[in-house]
Amino acid sequence: MEGSKEGSRKHRALEELRKLGRGVLQELREGKPPRLKVPSRGTSNIVYDGKHKYYVLGPRYEVRSASSMAQVKKFAQTLCVADFCRELVKAGKFATLREMYYTAEGWEPGPFKDQDESDLLVEDLEAMLGVKREDLALMPEEDGAAVFGDLMLREGDVTINATKAGRGGYTIPPTIDEVEFVKCRAKRVIAIETMGMYHRFVQEEAWKKFDALIVGLKGQAARATRRFLKRANEELGLPVYIFADGDPFGYHIGMVIISGSAKLAYINHELAVPEAKYLGVTASDIVNYDLPTDKLRDLDIARLKQLQKDPRYNTEFWQKEIKKMLELGKKAEQQAFAKYGLEYVVKEYLPAKLKEAEGLS
Amino acid sequence: MKTLADELFREFREHSVSEFFRKNAAMLGYTGKVRSLTTVIHEAVTNSLDACEEAGILPDLVVEIRRLDEDPEHLRVAVEDNGPGIPERFIPSVFGKMLAGTKLHRMLQQRGQQGIGISGAVMFAQITSGKPALVRTSTGDGKVVEVEVSINVDRNEGEIHTRRAVEGKWKGTRIELELKEVSYQRSRYSPFHYLRMTSVANPHARITLEEPDGNKTVFERVVKEVPEPPEPMPLYPKGLMADDLLILCRASKSRTVAGTLTAELSRMTRQKVEEVERLSGVRLDKKPQELTWEEAEKIVKAFKQMKFMAPSSSGLRPIGKEHIEKSLKQMYEPEFVVAVTREPKFYRGGIPFVVELGMAYGGKAGKGEEGEGVGGMELLRFANRAPLVFDQGGCVITSALRDIDWGRYSLNPELSPLTVFVNFCSAYVPYTSAGKQSIADEPEIYEELRFAAMDVARELRFYLHRKIRQKEREQRAGIFEKFLPIIAKRASSLAGEEPPDIRPVLKKVTGLESDGGE
Repeated sequence: MEGSKEGSRKHRALEELRKLGRGVLQELREGKPPRLKVPSRGTSNIVYDGKHKYYVLGPRYEVRSASSMAQVKKFAQTLCVADFCRELVKAGKFATLREMYYTAEGWEPGPFKDQDESDLLVEDLEAMLGVKREDLALMPEEDGAAVFGDLMLREGDVTINATKAGRGGYTIPPTIDEVEFVKCRAKRVIAIETMGMYHRFVQEEAWKKFDALIVGLKGQAARATRRFLKRANEELGLPVYIFADGDPFGYHIGMVIISGSAKLAYINHELAVPEAKYLGVTASDIVNYDLPTDKLRDLDIARLKQLQKDPRYNTEFWQKEIKKMLELGKKAEQQAFAKYGLEYVVKEYLPAKLKEAEGLS
Repeated sequence: MKTLADELFREFREHSVSEFFRKNAAMLGYTGKVRSLTTVIHEAVTNSLDACEEAGILPDLVVEIRRLDEDPEHLRVAVEDNGPGIPERFIPSVFGKMLAGTKLHRMLQQRGQQGIGISGAVMFAQITSGKPALVRTSTGDGKVVEVEVSINVDRNEGEIHTRRAVEGKWKGTRIELELKEVSYQRSRYSPFHYLRMTSVANPHARITLEEPDGNKTVFERVVKEVPEPPEPMPLYPKGLMADDLLILCRASKSRTVAGTLTAELSRMTRQKVEEVERLSGVRLDKKPQELTWEEAEKIVKAFKQMKFMAPSSSGLRPIGKEHIEKSLKQMYEPEFVVAVTREPKFYRGGIPFVVELGMAYGGKAGKGEEGEGVGGMELLRFANRAPLVFDQGGCVITSALRDIDWGRYSLNPELSPLTVFVNFCSAYVPYTSAGKQSIADEPEIYEELRFAAMDVARELRFYLHRKIRQKEREQRAGIFEKFLPIIAKRASSLAGEEPPDIRPVLKKVTGLESDGGE
């Protein structure tokens, strides 16, 4: 397993970059102004793939032509970014997006106006090549989430046990694809929205109780976290469960893990975990467990109505829960179970929900 | 016993025309120290150019302005031409008598019109320095006459003081005037600017100027054809006033009024004369000298009801589009020059006129002193090729151009390096005053000026747009020359292959008219 997985990713990235260069050279040799086909990432070109249950890019693309005065600079910059990635991948090094932004100061086309401009070119490249930026040796600034559970990982020469990485757990690095899963005794993954609840789970040794890898999402899951969940699901064959706040934003944290985001439609096949299940908190839970609630704000109501129309939520379960929450006019946080004692959520609520979910599947 | 009226009228006497103008020198343009000097030169130069033109001679003019002593406002001005010369017996009336000349009452397009110009200059010299004018002239008969002439103000007559005749082959006329209370400077009202303008409108003339500091400027001849002399044009019945008709009849050599009308007016056929007789009820077989004011009024009224063929404009002599363009090119070395000579039009019902308008853009064109090509639009106004330097604000040329929407032509009168040349040609220029420096606001003239300006500005706009496109093409080429090599280099680095020759693509791309991508 060592090297082959990682090696093939590296190999594929280099191959795609080489193909990009060859295409341009080919056109130049034929005396044609080269063109790049950049899949269009506008909302009108994002379609919901009902089979995979996530958003994918439609067939439309933009042509970036070297014969256009408006585009030739961007064209050159795109190739500069690609060439920069090629050097990084070849050297086995990583750079952050910000580092690349600063490196570009020294490139022939001159510096970018701002980091948004260079970040967009990276997205262009990901979409064009079908290779995500982590494989192009570019990573975001922030670390991913925390993992606690019976998992052995290897980062280079170092082997880490995710139960012995301190109370904070193992921190998912931006370069998660470089990390090798060595051994795993866990049978499932439980992803938790808030770090408060994550620490409750760690404290209550929930990882033992549920044979689970407890993942603290820190809100909306970062790319590295989603990539970790995807790998755990695919490589380790673990079912993924999501436990988030019982409000529209909690729903959506779950949905982005399950179906990916529209913005990253071009890379959702690497990130989405269609089999992941949303355990709660649901609107039904609020009723069934008689949870302390807050009133829905206008913002929450608008968001729920948006979700109602979102194709990703077009299932009986989601439509029912959204409708119910709108009827209740109430929302509840994960921590609301503390009403019944601190351990209640681990001892009573989650086992019941898991049983329900696994019983159904 | 003397009445009060007798007392009052004791001082009454006839004033001579000369005396009247002496007291009203300002009307003739003798106001201010700079303007007075320019007016003197204007009168002399105008006479010389008209004379040369009528004689079919390419004018070669020399204007000398010299200081005579420590007083900077005491100058001697000499203007010399190579014209036909003046027969000796006419010298007193040409230089010493007001309202005398060859031009009055001829419908003829010339620079001067009224016969007060050069004698006015002589008088200005006389009243400021007390000195007579020195005139040297020869008709080319081998005799050169040199006289001192002054004006007898009381009798409106020229007086010869000294006379000298020598043998000589020279032909032409030279007048020297000693002036005081004048000031020489190089402003836009100066003789320098005046002569520069004169040269632009008279590309067939060579004009040499010697300034008081000894500086010598030659405004070279650009074309070698003498303009055809203008033809006298008979008056057009419409637009005529009773007074005009009476004057014509008084001077007529015809035996009847009918004969006068057909002889002196244009488009008067036998049938038309009969129509006049029928409509006016005036008997036209009487002697023209016997026509009364009332009858003249009736005839003029009849004219207004009648239809005539359009008046003739054949006597008009515009400079011509080519000559204006050549001249502007020579003077301004502009990037672009274009001119138009419009078709003749008529004002006040029947006075023919032609508008000519040229524009020079870039180079030395524009407002800056002596044409440094900066600071907005410079307007050069001319009437029958004679520069109009003063009273710019009151002139129809100024108002017509001011009302043009320059932005539509990608021009900005405040900033564009633009010189606009306007020549108004007519046998009768409707000046706003005897100073003859601005043209009256006749609606037909105003319209025609606007059309001319728009014609020419349109051409200039095409040029400017071409220029902008050219500049864009160059910018475009620059952009591709910068980025295509980068693309080639990075692509070959990505592919791990040798960089290709990008010249064919570069050529294709920089020559493209429009963008290939979307």
